[in-house]
Amino acid sequence: MSSATPSPGPSSSSAHGHHKRHSILPAVSQSGPKPPVQFSSSCTIADSALLTGAHTIIVSTESVIHPRARLESLGGRVTVGRRCIVHERACLGAADLQGRYHKGSPDKEGRSMGAVTLGDYVTVEVGAQVESGGTVIGEGTTVGIGTRVGAGAVVGKHCTLTANSTVAAGEAIPDYTVIYSNGLRRVDRRGVSDLKNKAQARQIDVLRRMIPSNPAKFQ
Amino acid sequence: MFGNNRLPAFHPGLTQSRIRDTTTGSRLWFPGLRSAPPSESSPSDSDPANDQLPLPITPEDLYDTPMAPFNPYTYIRCPCSELNPYAKRTPDVTAQGLSRAAQDDDDHTFDPRAARSNYSLYPLEYLSFCEDCHQIRCPRCVAEEIVCYYCPNCLFEVPSSNIRSEGNRCTRSCFQCPICIGPLAVNHVETPPDPNQLLSPDHAASSHSGSYILSCSYCNWSSTEIGIKFDKPNSIHMQLAKLRNGGETRLTAKERKERRKEQASQGGGGGSSSTAHGEEDLDTLLDMETQFANLKSFYQNQLSDANGTGKAGGDASAALGNLGFDAPASLSRIMSLYTGSSSLHDKKSKSRPGTMREALAPSEGLQLASLDETSAITALQDFEPITGLDAYSSTASTTQLQSQAPYLGASPLHGLTRFTSSLRPISYLLRTKRSKRCPQCRHIISKPESKVTTTRFRIRLIAGNYIPTITIKQLIIPGLTPPPMPNLPPDTIEPLKPAQFVLTFKNPIFESVRVTLATPATTPGRFPSKVTILCPQFEIDSNTDVWEEALKDNNATSSSSQSQNLSSSTGPEGSGPGGRKRAGTLRPGTAGGASLAGEELGPEVGKVWERGRNWTSIVIEVIPASLVQTAKRDGRGPIKEDEDVLEIPMFVRIEWEAEAPEDEIMPGLSSAKGNKDGGKEKRELAYWCVLGLGRVARTL
Repeated sequence: MSSATPSPGPSSSSAHGHHKRHSILPAVSQSGPKPPVQFSSSCTIADSALLTGAHTIIVSTESVIHPRARLESLGGRVTVGRRCIVHERACLGAADLQGRYHKGSPDKEGRSMGAVTLGDYVTVEVGAQVESGGTVIGEGTTVGIGTRVGAGAVVGKHCTLTANSTVAAGEAIPDYTVIYSNGLRRVDRRGVSDLKNKAQARQIDVLRRMIPSNPAKFQ
Repeated sequence: MFGNNRLPAFHPGLTQSRIRDTTTGSRLWFPGLRSAPPSESSPSDSDPANDQLPLPITPEDLYDTPMAPFNPYTYIRCPCSELNPYAKRTPDVTAQGLSRAAQDDDDHTFDPRAARSNYSLYPLEYLSFCEDCHQIRCPRCVAEEIVCYYCPNCLFEVPSSNIRSEGNRCTRSCFQCPICIGPLAVNHVETPPDPNQLLSPDHAASSHSGSYILSCSYCNWSSTEIGIKFDKPNSIHMQLAKLRNGGETRLTAKERKERRKEQASQGGGGGSSSTAHGEEDLDTLLDMETQFANLKSFYQNQLSDANGTGKAGGDASAALGNLGFDAPASLSRIMSLYTGSSSLHDKKSKSRPGTMREALAPSEGLQLASLDETSAITALQDFEPITGLDAYSSTASTTQLQSQAPYLGASPLHGLTRFTSSLRPISYLLRTKRSKRCPQCRHIISKPESKVTTTRFRIRLIAGNYIPTITIKQLIIPGLTPPPMPNLPPDTIEPLKPAQFVLTFKNPIFESVRVTLATPATTPGRFPSKVTILCPQFEIDSNTDVWEEALKDNNATSSSSQSQNLSSSTGPEGSGPGGRKRAGTLRPGTAGGASLAGEELGPEVGKVWERGRNWTSIVIEVIPASLVQTAKRDGRGPIKEDEDVLEIPMFVRIEWEAEAPEDEIMPGLSSAKGNKDGGKEKRELAYWCVLGLGRVARTL
């Protein structure tokens, strides 16, 4: 089913009298199975977000899913924590480079790890690919633009993955790590986690007003 | 593994142009242009079906690397290398064998693979043109002068007087991250107010409630990692000079001088070395500046003492001790120490043989070397092995250490930074805007505006405005060109089969030019390919306005039926859309040499291929050599990098008529001289260029 064009947002017609310009990109069409979802009442899901898969997709309190972000639960459940931001063209639960969706080994109690689990206050930037298969992104981490996080990788809290970096499959990244340059790592000692969380909350306030949310479409 | 992946950080000031390695003979690579960098060598061609001698396998052959797409290029040789006074006819005795070092006389052809030609070949974009000498100038032969200095970060222009006094780095607030060389930003850090102090009356006076730090937005480094915070957000360079790692302040040179003057006025004991050094702690660490200052004053005192003016030590050290070692008075004193038997010297100075001793205390500049590095070793060993991070990655890399400026507040012996946790921010190197001059006639060739933010030029004489641009394209006629062999690697030319290329010459000047081309019959090098220029002499029309050509078109289409069958190769005749004329098209009646009835579309010898408003295309035909070496060939060794590129040296001669320069003093003189054609004079320019057509496939 093809998505309708987004309804006009908060009117900015005080300055311009013409209609809001419609996107010149082709209309986004949802393909694939419609997944069962659990949305919090305060989350923001854009109309042209792409949710596919057989497993549940959970989006928690005040998280924002930008237009054209993909959430694929083909390999398992996708959990987005509180106050997360998933930018355009990011994909949670992506297939790996060979096109396979990993399932992820079950954890100690025998329950299956979901495909992708995002902690609270996580930011997934434009074009990042977080592969499915038990991948865990810790609280407060920023997954940079174009980053690829391998299947089953466990990224710690408050990490920074700079643009176009890669995390190998199954790798465990300790907390407060910065991955920069061509795979170099260092420890972030700034101690600004609280400030970053507050800034993320403010950004989410702005985004909630700018992105028209349509969670009913996916339920 | 990640610790070993240490890539060099970008070093400020380092240029990126790469001159090719002369031993391997690879192709030049110029940044910013479309041609691909030298690619790794293609897979080895030791074909078992080949009954000829197999090539020796080189390490490069073992890696089956895909080749980068090849873009044809044109490099022009600057004539500055002709004026080499050391030109000797030495044959090139490397494994290239038959090729000789390029000589610049007209008798010898130009060898683009010789070691010397490496330094004189440039793409057209890199060359300028001197209008007075009417010669090409390359970046190697122009003389550069500095127009202005500026900081690349804050774009602040630094007057050249400041360069001499403060150095060639930005002294405002521009810094680079010592870890990742990214720009540092000044951030305000709010320290939460102490609740106990909020009610106290001193709260208003408590400074440092908010302070500033430098932070890198890429690798998340901040100056808190070395314990440095700033009070003001500007003039950070000054504040940083006074702060040691960890926040302690140090005195600058001026402050130390003032303190010494105060002490001297209070203490009264003039600079003599007999302070009670026994009481001082020998282990006090001095920073670099203090140690140097202490040593210098100590030696000055020693000098003045040793030369017999010990009684008036205070005055002498002040008066003569500061002379240094160049002054004639101190020189004569020093020499008198050695020429003890001469009768010319002063008896007084002989009576005191003058002993000098070394420093004995830190106040005199002595620093004991502590060879005990257990603290550094334990810091390395105690490093918590976090996954992906090891102790090695906590040490600073060579590049990081080299970018660090020597910090005068650190002890030279023990204050050497070894760990990344003690690296300091790096000041930005200033950049310059330069103007270029012709080395012969001293005319300015290129002059940028002195305003930093404008990128325009006041004067800009580039070769692209005077010399025709050459573009290369392979000619494939659907019915005529034989199809390539099926498994030909992409972007390669088949060996031993004639291939045709279209060279398009575009004329930038406002006069029509006549071009004469010449190439050697076979390309120089180990694998000579045969080259034939089908039309070595032709004319290119002037670079007139587009409107003029459109107006001409309108006049021509009215008589288009007459111009349909014309096929002259000279003279501008607009016909058809865009004014193009192809020489090889339908000419039923003319006897054009070897033209066959069924092949009207092929390129013709002596005829231009295509012509336009300000451009002309001609065809050259090459028969590439086979890269497989037979036993008969003299070449030894494997194919070097880029030796399979088909490069053609070509000699281009351009003739045109230009306006004779008006004599400014006597305007009527040129016409009075009796110049014909209304004051035009013939000009010509000749240069060598190298065309890189493509890679030869390693088949056959």
